[in-house]
Parts: sequence; structure tokens; C-alpha cells
Amino acid sequence: MKIRESLNSRFDFYIFIPYLILVTFSLLAIFSSTTNQTGPVAYNFYKQAVFAILSVFILYSVYKQSEGFFESISFPLYVFSIILLIAVLLVGKTINNSKSWLSFGIINFQPSELAKIATILYLSKYLSDKTISLDNLKDLAKSIFIGILPVVLILLENDTGTSFVFIVFIFFIFFMKGLNPLLIIVLSSPFLIIFASMFGIIPVIIFLIIILVTLILLKPYIIIATYIFLFNVIASFFFQYIFNILSAHQKKRVEVFLNPEADPKGAGYNIIQVKVAIGSGGLFGKGFMNGNQTQLRFVPEQWTDFIYSVIGEEWGFIGSVLVIFSFALILTRISKLFLTAHSEFSRLVSVGIFGYMFFHFFVNIGMCIGLFPVIGIPLPFVSYGGSALLFNSIALGIILSFYKHKVSI
Amino acid sequence: MKSSDKFYIPLDVKTAILKYIVIIISIIYTIQLFYLQIINNEYFDVKSKQNSIKGIPIQPIRGVFLDRNLEVLVDNKNTYTVKIIPAYFDTSKAKYIEAALNLENGTIVKYLRTSQSYSPYIPIRIKKDAPFKNIAWIEENKEFFPGLTYSVELQRSYPVVSGSHMFGYLKEISKKQLEEKKDIYTMGDLIGYCGIEKTYEDYIRGEKGYQYIIVDSRQRQIGRYNDGKNDKKPQKGYDLVLGIDKDVQKVAEEKFKGLRGALVAIEPQTGELIAFVSSPEYDLSKFSAFTDKAYWDSLISDPNVPLFNRATMSINPPGSTYKILAAIAALEEGVIDENTIISCPGSFVYGNRSFKCHGAHGNVNVIHAIEHSCNVFFYKLIFKIGLDKWAEYARKFGFGQKTNIDITEEVKGLVPDTKYYNKRYGKNGWTQGFLVSLGIGQGELSVTPMQLALYTAIIANNGVSYQPHIVKGYLKPGTKEIVPFTFPKIQTNISQRTFDIVKQGMYLVVNGHGTATSIKMPDIPIAGKTGTAQNPHGKDHAYFIGYAPADNPKLAIACFVENAGFGATWAAPIVKEVVHAYFNKHKNVNYKDTSLVKSRKN
Repeated sequence: MKIRESLNSRFDFYIFIPYLILVTFSLLAIFSSTTNQTGPVAYNFYKQAVFAILSVFILYSVYKQSEGFFESISFPLYVFSIILLIAVLLVGKTINNSKSWLSFGIINFQPSELAKIATILYLSKYLSDKTISLDNLKDLAKSIFIGILPVVLILLENDTGTSFVFIVFIFFIFFMKGLNPLLIIVLSSPFLIIFASMFGIIPVIIFLIIILVTLILLKPYIIIATYIFLFNVIASFFFQYIFNILSAHQKKRVEVFLNPEADPKGAGYNIIQVKVAIGSGGLFGKGFMNGNQTQLRFVPEQWTDFIYSVIGEEWGFIGSVLVIFSFALILTRISKLFLTAHSEFSRLVSVGIFGYMFFHFFVNIGMCIGLFPVIGIPLPFVSYGGSALLFNSIALGIILSFYKHKVSI
Repeated sequence: MKSSDKFYIPLDVKTAILKYIVIIISIIYTIQLFYLQIINNEYFDVKSKQNSIKGIPIQPIRGVFLDRNLEVLVDNKNTYTVKIIPAYFDTSKAKYIEAALNLENGTIVKYLRTSQSYSPYIPIRIKKDAPFKNIAWIEENKEFFPGLTYSVELQRSYPVVSGSHMFGYLKEISKKQLEEKKDIYTMGDLIGYCGIEKTYEDYIRGEKGYQYIIVDSRQRQIGRYNDGKNDKKPQKGYDLVLGIDKDVQKVAEEKFKGLRGALVAIEPQTGELIAFVSSPEYDLSKFSAFTDKAYWDSLISDPNVPLFNRATMSINPPGSTYKILAAIAALEEGVIDENTIISCPGSFVYGNRSFKCHGAHGNVNVIHAIEHSCNVFFYKLIFKIGLDKWAEYARKFGFGQKTNIDITEEVKGLVPDTKYYNKRYGKNGWTQGFLVSLGIGQGELSVTPMQLALYTAIIANNGVSYQPHIVKGYLKPGTKEIVPFTFPKIQTNISQRTFDIVKQGMYLVVNGHGTATSIKMPDIPIAGKTGTAQNPHGKDHAYFIGYAPADNPKLAIACFVENAGFGATWAAPIVKEVVHAYFNKHKNVNYKDTSLVKSRKN
């Protein structure tokens, strides 16, 4: 194992440059969609620009830290973030239906952003212990508890999108740690079955057959697995009921995803306008500040979850693909660490970060181009939001820090 | 993690799985972007333009109506219309606006409700013909009442004559019409509802212009699209030229003041209407603006039924004016000639009934029978002709069918024949005695004044005329050149000799010792026939049909005065005044040399 001193090999530009590209696109898109607006929104660009500069510095200082540092702060950070999540339930500010914001004067901060990193770090720390095995039911239960605690708190904040993100990266970490993949399927099946049931009875039946086959293969866990299977059957039969307890706007989003033209002026409006914005961009786009969908505000709150449509409209196919390419590059670079990571801890942290960034990327762009229902989660590095950019940059800083110590193979 | 576990996945495989998920998703998304942005770009581009580019219609100027000498009969004037754009309007403020504009409480809400199914960005009219003080008030209070707006609209004005039943009026387009013609009209557009406004809608409407503007997602105007280069100017509608003579029409309308009835004057050679009156008239200018509810109610409840077009829709027996038709039928069928003498002892007995004449005329031929309007002559004559022959001649002159004048409000009337009586009373349920009244234009015969006018015109022009029409053509834009409409010719194939005989009788009615000598004019000989139709519901209806000059008719007129009395007393003098008005104007004009005549012949 040889550690070279040149910055070139220690600092991974294949992650840093796509990161800068994304941040640049973000600032351009925020500028384009907000400067002509009136009210506090008009200052979004300047706020975000300040955060962007700050983020680059923070990314660099996180990169400078050693792996031991992250390990040592993981538990206190986790506890701190849980406290903040509880605090937010008590004194939080409600924005867009979710009581997930803590307000410090002009800056609003989502503790769930911090909790994301803290949970990844602490869960990884816990699982990196060689004596811990997910085949051991007690250990499995413990690690599920570490992961599920923030999820429950975030669900209580009414922020379904973010709790989805947690579940996804927890599964990614479990997968990497070696949880039986069949059990992963079974564990995740309640979520998947609900998703499948949105598309009708046939996908549900196919899915139930897959689970049944999985269960037969999964003899060691037959008791847990049977319970889960029974839960699935109940879930699929009582889907209508479950669907009804979803809040009205979530329900609408699902219905609208399945058929957006059914309600073009109402809930389907966003999906249609976002698609129109992106589709009308063409190869080269309409040009910076020239997208009529954007400039004339046909997409509501475009600088947040639908920011990809600004890029699609004003920068066209070239810009849109460049964003996808940047994400693909960052994610594949992170995946490199799965093999070359210096330790089990850094491997699990990497896969956690990979998991949540991938899920954000997959869902956000998927919903903008009409391949996924509208789930209100932002596009990392691109959507407006100072604290989100800050914590995403910290996450990338952690990855870059791991790159310092990576093992050459 | 036991390596013996059959579900153990090696690290490099796990890594590869995650890496390839990223790559595959990226490729799928790139393909979808290619599909949206490259393949379907045009579709979405159009959609996005439709989003933000709105065409604001500019109403065209409606064509005006000119009389035969190109003098204005129906003009346009600018008026203010107060409108509300429902999308921006706060209904709770409606009562303040209603108070300021003198509208009834709840009017605005009522209008908003009726237009609910349309886009809330289409303005709806709440007050038309608003006085300037209303507009000033709106301007002052604009910011308190978002969605309240006004526009300048063209409305009809009628500077010289009333002409209510022939001009007709406009109404806001109905939902049904809108569905049929949605490419031309939009909600709130006015459309010809009756009269020639309706018939010639396509000519006088013009074409809407469009101003293209860029709007944002809340439909607020941001600017003009492409600097207005794509805007379309509205096209003015064609100006119609009517056969009506303004001065003749005016006199006819004046003579009918206080009377109920109708008068139609036709130029026999062309079928053009020179005057068209149905009395009482109503005030069209009150229709062209927002139909005032009080005025509307007064029209509806008026016992004289002013909205009823008597010229084309009132049907009554024509009385003695119909004797000409019987005479023509008899002469043409050869059952009599001009020398055939029928004796009039003062009454005619059929079965056990006696039918009276207004005097004992002794031995009369057809000419004198017409001159003196001898009933007995015609009682006897109809038996010689026969019912079905008589009905056949009636139809040749347009009775029992629509004249197809260029307004749609018209009825057919009734000419009874054997088939009709069989149907009505059964094969043996009627007798030849029914014919007696028909001979003098009474009984189950019913005609409109319009039909009588056409009949007179055909007689005047010796059996030939054209389908009667109010409008003769339209002006070629920017010129005085008339583009004529063409109308079918009417031909009766009745011999000139027959016309010569009956016309001699008609001449004597006025200029001999006939029933209308009181209207004799030394310079313009009128020929005609009086009629007094018995009316079971009230006083007799007065009729006079006539043409002038008798030897070379330029004008054929039918005049009907409801419940007035004798035709000679009530109807004939009106005809005299109308003829006088016409020839007074034309005495110095050498008709045949004017350009109007030339273009008409084209």
C-alpha cells in the first residue's frame, strides 16, 4: 500500500469537478428562475451563492479530516441529530406541509439533513465491528433500531420523502454489510408491494409470487419471513385502505403520475408543465434566462424540486445529459471506494452516501422526466437550499477524505 | 458472513451491481431525455408556446347598411361596455359595483354563474352602453376592484328610419351556436339574431383580428409576441346595399304611426324592396345595447305586439285584392274573355244562402267588375274556374308558400284546394258553397302582406319578377361598386293579353269610377285594387294593392291596415303618399342612365 503525496492522486477531481459543474448549473438555474420574481424569493440566488462558496470551503476542510475523526464523532453526532429531530417536532417551522425546519433568524435548517450523515456514520460505525453480524437476529434488530429511529421522527414531521431516503440508504448499508439479499427483498417488500399496487392487481400478484419464491429459498429466516409475507398479503389486500390514509396530496400525486392528463389544471399541472419545459428545450436549450416556461413561471417553485426542468428548458439536451453524466461520474467514483476503502467503516459510509445520493438523483430526475411519481425530494447540489447543499458537500468531503486513504488495487 | 453461505455475494459483485444500476439508470434517463427533447421537441415546443402566447381577439367592424342611393340606414357607433374577468374578480365586492353602475342587486353574480363553464379569463359583459360617468368611476376605482374592466364596442345606430323588422338585431351568441361555429366565434360575441342582420351575418361580420401577447402562468400580460409581427388586423365586414329608399321608407313609417299593419313596396322589374314596414315598430337602438329589461317587458306586454313582423308573418284573408287573381285565372283558362258579361242583381244565392254585393252593378264585364269590385261577378266566376285551377294560379303568384324574402321570419299562409278540404273536413264534409267566399278573397284563404306585394309586382311587370329581397348586394371594399347578389327569377307564363285586361280594370279603380278614385294623382297614374277583409275578431282589415305609374310601373305596393275598416279609406291613402314620396324624389332622375342600374344588370 503506497500513499502518494501529490494532490492529484489524493484529491479526486473526478468527484470534485462534476460537483462544481452541478453547483454551477444550480446557481444558473436558481438565478434564472428567481431573479425576476418579487418578494423574498428574489434573493434566493445570492443566498445560495454564499452557501456555495461556504460549501466548497467546508468540503475542503472535511476532506482534510482523518477517518478516525469521523468514527469518533459518529455517536455524539447521531445523538445530537436525534435531539434536533425531537426539537423540530416541538418548535419546528412548517414549510410545504412538513414540520421539518428549525429556524435561526434568516436561515432555515432541516435537522434531517444532519441526521442523514449522522445516521450513516453511526450505523456504519456500529456495523463495522467485526463481531457484529446481520445474521444474528439481535444485531440485526439493533442496527434496524439505529436506522429506524430517525425515520420514525421524520415521518412524524410529515416528511415522507426524506424518510424514504433513509430507508433506502439503510438498505444499501445492510446490503454492503452482507445482509442476505433475499432478506433485503423481503424486508423491503412492504414498500415495494404498495408501490406495485399503484399499478393494479397484476403487478401485485407477480410481486407476491417473487416474495413467495424468495421465502422458500430463505429457510433460515422462515419465521420472520412468514410474518413479513403475511403482512404483504394484508398490505396488498388492504391497499385501498392504506391508500386512503395517505394524505390527500400524496394520493393525488400517485393518481396523477398514473394519468397526468386526467387533471391538467389541478394536480397533473406540475407534471405536465415540467415535461413541457424539458421537452421544449430541444438539443441546445432556449438559452440562459430565455426559457418561457421558466421565466413565465409555468412550473411552480421551480428552484426547488423541479429545478431540473429549468436546466432542461434553458440548456437543452446537452445540459440535461451533462447533469446526469455528472451524477453518474460522482456515483461511480464513490462505488470505487466499495472495493478500495481503507476500512469497513469507510466502505459502509461510502455506500450509505452513495445510497442516498443515488436515490435523490434517481427519484428527482425520474419525476421531472415523467418516469417516476412526484415525491418531494430535491436534487442534491442543484435544488435551492443552503443547508442541503452544505450537508451534501460535507458528505462528498467525507468521500474525498476516504479517497486519501484508499487502497490501490 | 460465511463463505459457505449460498447467499453470500462477493464484494466485487456487490460493487458491480451498484455501479451498473447507476449506469443503467443514467442510460435510461438519457434515452428518455432524447425522446422528450429531440424526438418530441416540436410537440412540447408548441405546447410551451400555447402556454405563454395568447391571441387577444380584436372585434372587426360590422358592415353597415346603405339604402339604394348609398345613404346610411344602419350605422355603427362606439359605446362603452363594462366587463368582468371572473378569474381576478372578488365576488364579495359585487354590490359596490352594482350600486355604482345602477345595476340590480345580484346581477353580477347571475352573469358570473351563467358563464361558469367557460375559461375564467374570458371577460363577461355586465353593462352595455354605459355612460361616460361609469367609465370615469371605473378608472378612479380600478385598483379596488381587480377584474373590473371596460371596452369600447361598436354598436348599431339607426339615424333615419326605424326598419326594426327588416334590419333585425344582434344577440350574444348562444351555447349551441358556439358549438357549431367555434372556429369563428367565441363566447360573448354578438351574432345576427333576426332580420337581415341574421341572414347576411357571414357578409357583414367581417373577420376578427388578433393581437398576440406573452402571458405568464397567471395570465398577466408580459409583452407582445414577436413585436407584433404575427398580429392580424381585423377585416371590416362588407357594407350591404339595400333596395330600400330611405325617404320612401321614412314616409311609409310615418304614415303608419298609430296604426297596426304593414306595407311592402317592390321594384317589379328586380324584386328589390323599396320600403318595408311592419307597424308598430320597436326601437332597435335599445336592442343593440344591453336589452333593457323594462323596455323588453313593455314590448312583450304591449297588446299591439310590436315584436311581431306583420309584413311577413300576419296571415289574413286578402279580401277583394284577390279578385285580380280570379280574373287572371278565368281569362287565362278561357272561361271568360273581356267581353263576357255577368249580371249582378246585388246578391248571389247559393243553396239557401244569399251573398251580398255592395250595390247592383247590372251587367258587368271583367274590367268593370274589377273597377267596382263587384262581388257577384266573382262569386259566379270561381265556379267557372274550379277550386283546384284557382289554387294553381294562386301558387303561381307565390301564395301558400314562402316568398323566400331574405329574412327568416316568414310564414306560408294558406291556399285551400280540394286536397286541403278533404283532409280538413273529410271527403263529403264540405260543399262547393265554400268556394263562394274564396271568389272574393274571404274564407279559409290566408296571405301575408309580403305575398300580396309580390303578387302585385308580378302583375305590374306582366308575369315576370324576381324573388323579393331587401338586400341587393354589397359594396366592394373601398369603392362605390356594388357586387350584386343574384335571386331566382319568377315566371308565370301568363299571356300579356290577360294582364292587359286586368290592368285596365286596376287602372279604372283609381282613375275611372272605381273604389279608390280618392287617391287619383294627375301626374302619376296609380293602378290598384282595394280590399276590405271581414274579420270575425274585430273591425275589418283594410287592404290596398297597387302600382305606379300605371303604364310603366316602377313601384308595386301592398298595404295592410289591421282592424281599420275600408281599404279605400285606410290603406289606399298610405299607398298614395308612398308613391308620391318615391316619384317626388325621382321625377328629375333619368333612371336608366345611373351606374346603379348598370351594376344591377351585371
